[in-house]
Amino acid sequence: MPMVLLKCDKDIPDRQKHIYLKAPDEDTRSYLPISNAATIPGTLSERGCAFCGAKLVIGGVLKDTIQMIHGPIGCAYDTWHTKRYPTDNGHFNMKYVWSTDMKESHIVFGGEKRLEKSMHEAFEQMPDIKRMIVYTTCPTALIGDDVKAVAKRVMAERPDVDVFTVECPGFSGVSQSKGHHVLNIGWINEKVATMEKEITSEYTMNFIGDFNIQGDTQLLQTYWDRLGIQVVSHFTGNGTYDDLRCMHQAKLNVVNCARSSGYIANELKKRYGIPRLDIDSWGFGYMAEGIRKICTFFGIEEKGEALIADEYAKWKPQLDWYKERLKGTKMAIWTGGPRLWHWTKSVEDDLGVQVVAMSSKFGHEEDFEKVIARGKEGTYYIDDGNELEFFEIIDLVKPDVIFTGPRVGELIKKLHIPYVNGHGYHNGPYMGFEGFVNLARDMYNAVHNPLTTLAGIDIRTPAQVQLKEAA
Amino acid sequence: MMASNNEVLSNKVDELYGYVQERCLWQFYSRSWDRSENIDGVISKATDMLLGKTPETATPTERLHMADAKIMVDDFRSRFPWIKDAGEEEVRELMRELRERLTDIAITSSKNHELTHSLY
Repeated sequence: MPMVLLKCDKDIPDRQKHIYLKAPDEDTRSYLPISNAATIPGTLSERGCAFCGAKLVIGGVLKDTIQMIHGPIGCAYDTWHTKRYPTDNGHFNMKYVWSTDMKESHIVFGGEKRLEKSMHEAFEQMPDIKRMIVYTTCPTALIGDDVKAVAKRVMAERPDVDVFTVECPGFSGVSQSKGHHVLNIGWINEKVATMEKEITSEYTMNFIGDFNIQGDTQLLQTYWDRLGIQVVSHFTGNGTYDDLRCMHQAKLNVVNCARSSGYIANELKKRYGIPRLDIDSWGFGYMAEGIRKICTFFGIEEKGEALIADEYAKWKPQLDWYKERLKGTKMAIWTGGPRLWHWTKSVEDDLGVQVVAMSSKFGHEEDFEKVIARGKEGTYYIDDGNELEFFEIIDLVKPDVIFTGPRVGELIKKLHIPYVNGHGYHNGPYMGFEGFVNLARDMYNAVHNPLTTLAGIDIRTPAQVQLKEAA
Repeated sequence: MMASNNEVLSNKVDELYGYVQERCLWQFYSRSWDRSENIDGVISKATDMLLGKTPETATPTERLHMADAKIMVDDFRSRFPWIKDAGEEEVRELMRELRERLTDIAITSSKNHELTHSLY
């Protein structure tokens, strides 16, 4: 019985369809967790909303674009600066946040005038910035504000600006995944091929689904520069609005995060004939494989081999130092979706780490096909996990370290289990060769940190203990 | 008891199939037609390479499949040394079986409900 009904789920038995324990001689033809489905009532989901998927994950990464959030102020703060995606122009995207700050009267009488005023104000306050994305949120979508019409009026008044609208209120999907989809498809429909840029290399590609978390994009860019490959656009790490309008000019789409950004790669293939190459950018073996594939596509294999040899010489000894000390570590990965399948084999191959449980907030069935094919037997695969399930899974698999987000991370810290930020990283970048050494170092520091255990010791005398801890 | 030729072939395909399932993202693209195109394309290029032929790379898609196939063939040769001794007929049979198994798990028998959606 490989689909698992946990004890904590006895009153919501449908959760059994979302939790899989891989057994010998099984594959995804027999068992595949249901995913990208509505959260079951009774489960306290860790998911974000659809608006968050568009703004926090993809649009908000851009380094030259005002992110106008048409809604109450909380929608702005909660999708700002909680992801760590720096830029090479002084982190413009992380310094500022924009909102129309909708209040009750605007909801009652309509918010279009307020949005128009806010857009003009933002452009006036930031005269060097000429690009903007406008997002609807739950209340402004419900009252039917026509943000596209407002954007047209603003662009008519300001011919030097360009505005893209994302109509993806929080309620429009089961998780943030819907926001990825809406932004991808909206962008290809409205903005791709509206600009041409100078092509400086015969080798051109878009790098899709990498968001420059703690410098991932910038690190990988050093490889592409050494290989002489021009990245026409980064979707969207350290990227610019106008570069993304030129995506049609590339000869190859290289995709890292297939979940958030596979849609635009598929459409670029369908509409412009640009092939899609999926790679894993985390891990030594995977990164080398990705570079080899890209170089084979362009016919520059020797350059690729030279780069890989240089990077191995520089970083492999450090990786091996950590591998020696991390071998046999039991790891849980509770992140969005793709990092489950990106990481499970790379930490096993490169660090000797065993992944014992994985949970995805917004992965689709495609992601579970990938991770179950790559993951080990005896490992739990969970869709849309909740806190009580996490407690029970921790008891079952006893992980030595958990890679997850800050919210679940706080829970884990209270259990005195080492935690590493699997979304925004502790001390990244984590992609590429150098990056995977950083990941190994953070894992090593977490697993061997004596404070985790010491913090669990109650040093109060019995007389001082007034209340027992609940957990 | 000696294993039959069919069992030997099947065991060899098991090894190749296990490698592809674990390593290759191209089998898991978004829709059934993408998966089919990739499985057929990569297996076709890999077959050429295993037979010592130079694969056609006239189109961008052919170059893509060649790039994916090259890594796979290199790994096949290093992980499964027996493949170097396989004759033309055996290589074709191995790759035909591999293609069938991949098509079955990734497309025909897949429980992924999004595979046949007409839009991305």
